[in-house]
Amino acid sequence: MTEAEKSFTPPPGTAPIVQLKGIAKYFPGVIANEDVDLEVMPGEIHALLGENGAGKSTLMNILTGIYQADAGEIIIDGYRQEFASPVQAIAAGIGMVHQHFKLVQAFTVAENIHLGWDETPKRASKSVLESRTEDLAKRYNLATRPGATVSDLSTGEQQRVEILRVLARRARLLILDEPTAVLTPAEARELFRALRDFVAEGNAVIFISHKLDEVMEISDRVSILRGGRKIATRDTRNCNAHMLANLMVGREIVLADMRGRGPHAAPISKDPVLVLDDVCVASGTGGNALDQVNLKLHAGEILGIAGVAGNGQRELSQVLTGVKAASSGKVIVDGTHMKSANAKIFADFGIGHIPEDRLHSGLAPALSITTNAVMREYDQAPVSPHGIYNPRSATRLAREIAEAAEVMIPDYGMPVRNLSGGNQQRLVARREMRIADKVLVAAYPSRGLDVGAINTMLRYIVELRDAGAGVVLISEELEELLNLSDRIAVLYEGKVMGVVENDNLDIEEIGLLMGGRTKAGEVA
Amino acid sequence: MFSSFRIQRLPSSHPGIALAARLAAIVIALVVAGVGIALAGMNPFDLGARVITASFGSSFGMEDLGVLVIPLILTGLAVAVGQQVGAWNIGAEGQFYAGAFAASAVGLFVPGEGPLILILMFVAGLVGGAAWILIPTLARAYANVNELITTLLLNFVATLLVYYVATGPWRDRSGMANSATPPLSTSVPEFWGIVHWGFPIAIGLAILVGAALAFSRWGYEVRLVGSNPSAAKYAGIPVRKHLIMVMLLSGAIAGLAGMLEIAGTVHRLQGGISNNFGYLGIMVAVLARGSPIGVIFSGAFMALILNSGIVLQTQGLTTSVVLAITGFILFLTAIGDELSYYRITREKPEGAA
Amino acid sequence: MTSIRNLSRRGFLNMSAAAGSSLLLPSGMLTSAFAADPLPAIAEEDAVIGFGHVGPITDEGWTWSHHQGLLAVKEAYPNLKNILEVENVPYSADATRTYRQFVSEGANMIFDTSSTGDFLHQVVKRAPEVAFMECNGHNPDLPNLGWYYLAHWYPTYVLGVAAGHLSKTGKLGYVASFPVASVYASTNAFLMGARTVNPDATVQTIVINSWFDPQAATQAGTALIDNGCDFLFGIMDEAGYLQVAESRGVWAAMWNTDIRRYGPNAYVSSIIVDFKDFYVDQVGKRLAGTWAPNQTLLPMGGGVDRDVWGQNVPEEVGKAADEVREKIIGGWSPFVGELKDKDGNVRVEADQKMTEMELYNWDWSVEGVSGLEG
Repeated sequence: MTEAEKSFTPPPGTAPIVQLKGIAKYFPGVIANEDVDLEVMPGEIHALLGENGAGKSTLMNILTGIYQADAGEIIIDGYRQEFASPVQAIAAGIGMVHQHFKLVQAFTVAENIHLGWDETPKRASKSVLESRTEDLAKRYNLATRPGATVSDLSTGEQQRVEILRVLARRARLLILDEPTAVLTPAEARELFRALRDFVAEGNAVIFISHKLDEVMEISDRVSILRGGRKIATRDTRNCNAHMLANLMVGREIVLADMRGRGPHAAPISKDPVLVLDDVCVASGTGGNALDQVNLKLHAGEILGIAGVAGNGQRELSQVLTGVKAASSGKVIVDGTHMKSANAKIFADFGIGHIPEDRLHSGLAPALSITTNAVMREYDQAPVSPHGIYNPRSATRLAREIAEAAEVMIPDYGMPVRNLSGGNQQRLVARREMRIADKVLVAAYPSRGLDVGAINTMLRYIVELRDAGAGVVLISEELEELLNLSDRIAVLYEGKVMGVVENDNLDIEEIGLLMGGRTKAGEVA
Repeated sequence: MFSSFRIQRLPSSHPGIALAARLAAIVIALVVAGVGIALAGMNPFDLGARVITASFGSSFGMEDLGVLVIPLILTGLAVAVGQQVGAWNIGAEGQFYAGAFAASAVGLFVPGEGPLILILMFVAGLVGGAAWILIPTLARAYANVNELITTLLLNFVATLLVYYVATGPWRDRSGMANSATPPLSTSVPEFWGIVHWGFPIAIGLAILVGAALAFSRWGYEVRLVGSNPSAAKYAGIPVRKHLIMVMLLSGAIAGLAGMLEIAGTVHRLQGGISNNFGYLGIMVAVLARGSPIGVIFSGAFMALILNSGIVLQTQGLTTSVVLAITGFILFLTAIGDELSYYRITREKPEGAA
Repeated sequence: MTSIRNLSRRGFLNMSAAAGSSLLLPSGMLTSAFAADPLPAIAEEDAVIGFGHVGPITDEGWTWSHHQGLLAVKEAYPNLKNILEVENVPYSADATRTYRQFVSEGANMIFDTSSTGDFLHQVVKRAPEVAFMECNGHNPDLPNLGWYYLAHWYPTYVLGVAAGHLSKTGKLGYVASFPVASVYASTNAFLMGARTVNPDATVQTIVINSWFDPQAATQAGTALIDNGCDFLFGIMDEAGYLQVAESRGVWAAMWNTDIRRYGPNAYVSSIIVDFKDFYVDQVGKRLAGTWAPNQTLLPMGGGVDRDVWGQNVPEEVGKAADEVREKIIGGWSPFVGELKDKDGNVRVEADQKMTEMELYNWDWSVEGVSGLEG
């Protein structure tokens, strides 16, 4: 570390900048945080590591005054504080840069910096604001263009503006939520340098991430959250990626193995039913959302896709179901090379799709339950014999689907958004299972559901597997993947890091793969 | 923990409540207008009676309503059809003129007369309206340019184009008309007084479109595209193709409104013929909540209101007062519509833990 | 308000003409085209008279002038209680609905003060018992419809003579509403008057597609002055370009009424219109049962005239123009060939006098007028 000489060592007996004691936060039916202790010392970069849903965001929202804790206390510089709103947290020197920037796109950098800031001069010309911004940028060593409009900036530059805005308000503790997710490697290095400079003056940083390598690179200490609780805090120099991975995912796995097959279940086919051959999908920002993915799915098997959300899962499910075309490589369904993306043709081939975000893409929320239920079969008899759409037959089919899904529906004409999330998901799942003769692609099928609904959903998937369909199960719940999958592929930044047989599986290995490392230790 | 009153927005409104809210809005508007008229020293009941007898008391009044309702239904239908596919066609005014323009070109310059010319004019009206929305449609479909702005701006172009030809190259040189073209060779025949065949065409088209949307595969796909394009894409429905076809249909219907106004009611092309029908169509569609069948009723309601405005003017109310009353009725109707989505509940606040 | 000093020559010269023909005598009044049975007399207190206007009666211009006529009718027939008046009648099928409503209200006589053409005629056909008069109308051979207008080209010619004297550049600007017959006659007469003084004078026209749009008229006025015009004329129902002329220090002449207070230094004169006597006369005939459809052009001095000259107009200019005015009232017509259009074609042969109907339906620009024809 070249910046080592700049590091700040607090004198012995210095109080932590922030101390959390016994923080708990409950949402209906969910323990978001419980009994969390955390200390952040001046001069340190403290990483917060955990899977999706481990409670990182809730904890930070409590620290920044967005939520109020149900139990526990927040101690700042040795004094107990209660934050009723983010304004009070900012006044106490705590600032957060969210994953989604809160900048006004149409305003200039200088205007954004000065927006809603009590130190903004009452009357200020453009040039005054810009020169003030220039000074701030110099002071914090964050190069910006004060006169530029935010929408013209790259994401890296926008992030610097966000950080500058927080620092200008005299933050001493800067919280960054997955800051490198939107950055190029060069931009990330620049950010790390700025963070080092910042803590060298006796400030502190909380750095939320799931990327093991960067945690190893940037942090002084690391705290691991799992299931809403803090599992451990370690000095980073005493850790390695294996240890962290183990801590992150190495919980007790509730094994309710559903991999066993009954006597009548279809066997796993010899030939694959769905093949991805060197498939790439371009992302909006110039890179590849999927990068040379090779996968084979056999009939009668469940292929689990593990990985932290946002590593290409959405594009994978889209390319598997014909919603999106591969920018290169081949998608082969049952021996047929699908040359263009057409979800209808894929569906007619027998590929069902439980999409990641059912309200956004799997359903038309404002339209009736009937309309939504027949989305896959509206163009064939009995719903549309001879091209005439028969609303009565459509409702009959909707009733059939609802009954199979065990959803009580008072009125098939009411908008589907009036149903609970669980019922919507069951309807979508049943609708898709009807057409999924060959393949079902299920993205996060249990997301947002309660335990009962999750069990139903998993039962559906097993049922389909036994009927001889291949299932791609994309999930961030490791238990779910371990309980159902025959094989598990891990996605990291659009690449398949590895495909492992789900026998004698080394959970640590999955954790490593999810963090971008292979067992041998090389960086992806 | 405490309980409180809460205003809750329902995802859909009960049809009965919506109807009641609408009736209440009309009653309130009429009462307020009546008080205003009484304050101005006139008898509101007398005026009301006059409005009713003038509109329904004679075949004269009924015929006028019948003629007035044709463009209102069609422009309303044009806007409603666009809404079905998720597009706001604010340009029905321009498409109306474009349809009138194209139909007039046929009626003025294609030799001959009779049914063949009439059919040609009919087609020209449809094509003219569709052509006028073509660029906004392609811009929306391929570049995601907001059609609200593009369709609106083209209104001014079409209006001025018609002014130009009617007072310039196509103007009537016989001295029989100011700033208008000569009479068209062919008219839409009348079947009851001055009410021409545009009336059944407008109602029939609204029913046809409504039925196609409700009872065809095409209609199902269009509704899905309009409600949630991502879901439509997910279901493998060609979103762009439907968007383009339906927007063109919307323009064609507005163009037909222009053709029928020219060939059935006005008989010459001239500036100002649209009477803001394109913009009123937006109101008609909103009052009908985008339902093609509903447009028949809201179009009739709008015609009645506009006709009442004329009756009130002859009674000495100034244009401004009449416009204010008309606007007030429509304004309250819209509010009543929105309010029917709300209910007041008494319940515990959520997430008090 | 209106300063017409010369209304003594009241009375309309009569002339007969076959329907739709153009064989009108000069500066004449035109008369009953049909020998139809006259509509029966009505008692004053039972009568209903309707007026439909293109604009608001507060416009200080065209509609205001017609409203003065309505007030004169009220004064002349104090027992005539039922006069209907609708402002802002649009040039669309709404006009039909408005006039139909007059008929429903029992109107015996209806004045359409700004030609709505077919929209009015549809009602005329369906109400044969009602007398209709259409201002600037064009008779489509209906037995209960007449029309009336102003021979405004004569006072306009007089203003043109004044403009010829006053303009230094010889460039005259004209703010036009639409390229319609009134505007052709107005621009042509204006230029012909000016050329008697300055043979090189020209008229530049800007069409703003409205009779009442102060903003557009102001812009047009500014553009014309920027083009070198130092005398503005036009056919607007408001004072927009007069104010421009006042602030830019050039001359302006107006239409309809005396609105010199908006630009006292720039004001030269105005085409003053006055329908009072005509309306009183027509309503009187209708009440008496002697009304018959007629085509009437109110002559200079009998409904249309120039206004009192503006405060800065040199006395000798006013005098020179007024001499021409007296000549016209005396029966002389300035609209005599040879007249060429802007392409150089001879449209009126030498020594041929244009008839009143030709003037009324003028649809081409004389050489020197630009901006009306594409």
